Amino acid sequence: MRACSQVQVMDDDFSSRRESPPPPHVVGVSLCDSAPLLWRVEDLRSVRAQGLVGALLGSLPRTPRQNGRLGRPLLLLPEEERLLRERQTAAALPARRQDGGGAELVVQVEQQQEEEQQRSYEEQSILALEDRKSALLRAMTSSHSGGPGSGTGTEASDEALRGRLEDLDRSFTFPQSALAVQLSTARAGLSYCPEARAFLQADWPIREQHDRSWDARYQVFRDLRGRGFYLTSAGKFGGDFLVYPGDPLRFHAHFIAICSSLDESVCVLDVLSAARLGSNVKKTVLLCSPGTDGRILYTSLQWSGMV
Amino acid sequence: MYRTGRRCPVNMADHNKRDTEGEFFSEVLSPSELFAARSRSHKIPVRGQKDFFPDDSDEQRQRLEQSLNEHWSLISEERVERLGNLVKATWLQSEQIVELQSPAGKFWQTMGFSANGKQNLLPEEALYLMECGNLQVFYQNLPLSIQDGYEKFLSSSTVSLQQYQVFAHLKRLGYVVHRFDPSLEPSSYARQLNLPQSRDRAVKQLKRKRSASPTATSSHTEVQETPTADRMEEDECGRDGEEDKKPPESPLTASAGTAAASSDEGGGRTWWMTDDLGERSDHKPASGRSRWHFSSIPFPDLGSRGSSSSCLVPPDSSLLPGSVAVGVCDIAPWRRRINLREVKMSSKERRREEDKRRRRWDINRDREVRRCRNWAEYRELLARREGRPKGRPAHLWNREVTPLHDPRQPIPTKELLDKLSVIKSTHLLEEASSIKGSDEWRICFNVYQPDTVADFKKSNPGKPYSRMCVCSFDGPVPDLRAIKLLTYQSGDVPVVLAVVDHGDISFYTFKDFHLPTDVFS
Repeated sequence: MRACSQVQVMDDDFSSRRESPPPPHVVGVSLCDSAPLLWRVEDLRSVRAQGLVGALLGSLPRTPRQNGRLGRPLLLLPEEERLLRERQTAAALPARRQDGGGAELVVQVEQQQEEEQQRSYEEQSILALEDRKSALLRAMTSSHSGGPGSGTGTEASDEALRGRLEDLDRSFTFPQSALAVQLSTARAGLSYCPEARAFLQADWPIREQHDRSWDARYQVFRDLRGRGFYLTSAGKFGGDFLVYPGDPLRFHAHFIAICSSLDESVCVLDVLSAARLGSNVKKTVLLCSPGTDGRILYTSLQWSGMV
Repeated sequence: MYRTGRRCPVNMADHNKRDTEGEFFSEVLSPSELFAARSRSHKIPVRGQKDFFPDDSDEQRQRLEQSLNEHWSLISEERVERLGNLVKATWLQSEQIVELQSPAGKFWQTMGFSANGKQNLLPEEALYLMECGNLQVFYQNLPLSIQDGYEKFLSSSTVSLQQYQVFAHLKRLGYVVHRFDPSLEPSSYARQLNLPQSRDRAVKQLKRKRSASPTATSSHTEVQETPTADRMEEDECGRDGEEDKKPPESPLTASAGTAAASSDEGGGRTWWMTDDLGERSDHKPASGRSRWHFSSIPFPDLGSRGSSSSCLVPPDSSLLPGSVAVGVCDIAPWRRRINLREVKMSSKERRREEDKRRRRWDINRDREVRRCRNWAEYRELLARREGRPKGRPAHLWNREVTPLHDPRQPIPTKELLDKLSVIKSTHLLEEASSIKGSDEWRICFNVYQPDTVADFKKSNPGKPYSRMCVCSFDGPVPDLRAIKLLTYQSGDVPVVLAVVDHGDISFYTFKDFHLPTDVFS
């Protein structure tokens, strides 16, 4: 009996614990010219943790004039967007309000901004003054440290130092133009908690085309992602997806996936050109089709040469 | 160091703090963080070698973690700029342009335009400068974030996201990129005449205000194209040259021919009479055929020994023109000038001469030859006789479809090859002017080379390096019609297709090409 009750108690604990696992993060998708973009860093991290790579489009803040590494926003593949929506981990962010929420609110926000900037200015000028002082200290002490008459001259040098510091206090000005200002990447706004998720789902703007080829692509994407592969787009390689065995930051792609439905006839020349392209870039071409039983059929093409 | 800033995490275990709306999110830096940003590094870490296969080793995991951390730290870094380095501007929603409130910086040399006494920027230019950290745009007195910029500035009425991707990609590489305005392009005729472009900027400004973006049918740009003094397509020039050459040649040959013909005709008409010719000379009787009576016309043989006469009888006065009278001709002095010595031949030579004479068949014994009254008829006879092995066999030439070329006619090899080229080669611009414009395929941008930035003048940018047409891999491949249309619109500047594929951009261009011919005549 005791054992049962103990088990029961444990069951209760367990169930209560099961009811409250941390809900998955909901990313806010903003639509720009009907393309799904992610702007917030935590959203990008969450999406990467789910194995979705996306593509960065913007300039990198640190070095904006190069194309090697790009920065936010992250563009989602239509398949990635659909997967997030199915998992209920994405919600559409509302666009910035045109009217700003009413004239009163606008004035209020403006005032807030000005106050914040003023506070920032004051703080920064203090920091700047401190910075100058410590620089001065360093300069003066280093020049005196190695001197021969350091022992006797310390008092005099201290005096001089104090004098210089006082001068600095009096005369130092931090010009407005030197104020460091942030140019925000993402718009400040609300983030969504799980309770609001269901409500937001219904609000998703309908944009995509529902045709069979798109469906086939999505089935393949979901299956490969489920097997742990990372996928990105492969237009340059003449295919639908590039399939990586791990994170693309660390691994090369192994496959080029070309999706088609089972009953679609394929021209031999297309198969040949795909195989040729694949062998040129040292990747295996995968022909993928969703089967009738819900499983995906994969066929790989390998160049074997003349027999 | 830097941080992503304060934010209220969503996944907090403490549910009590949550309200239904959710937490307020912002990636704002504190003043100390802003100040500390001055000493940020400006270098990006180099990407290491990639691994081939994941093997669950610690080493790989570590490297992956390091790469990811680097990645996140770069991505999450916010733009911090000195207020003095920022140019302030406002977004004019109704006009969809950005108006500068403080003087423009170095970017003014290649970007922006003046209107209403103020400096303005196009939305894509403003967004790019925002991303570079040079510009702060306000709307309703509040600064816009980059996200706001993307959402407000990029639309179907200004520049689409894909077009902006191409624009920014090229700008980051250093190119100067302007919008393409087909109405500002000089027509091929104007270029041919080398007409100077009208510099009436006021008119252009007004046109620009009313016209729309690259995504609609009429787009606007502030640059004006100088007429290119260059010649047109190379092959067109070549073609013209060839055609020019032909006319002078043919009159020459024609005139030569006619001259020869006329001389022949003029000279021969009194000597030859056939039934066809209607003309009659005064000398010959009108009736029927007349023939030469060779026996009655003495051809003096001054060289033969047998000739004993020392003088020539004057010719028949009917054969002489007009009232020319000729007396007796003394041939003695002529005979003295001739070497009348007999040729001394060896026996062998003599025998050879006899052989030749024996074998030689006197052509005049042939009856058919005797029937020919003139050279033309004789040639016809020869042709008839020798027609079968070469020349013009009757079964080929007497029908509707005849051989391409008469092998007996001389022809240079190049002309023969031209005759043989049944499929004529064409060039890209052929019949391109008649193609109507389409909404689908449109040139978006003019691209100028980076090394021209120093002397670049917005009012007179010159001929662009290339023109961009933006499309995507999802869309159709351009067909010949589209390519002809784009090439025609572009004039003599190459058109580059920028194909956007989720962040990757590939550039393709089509070049007119002529198969080389080996033969030069």
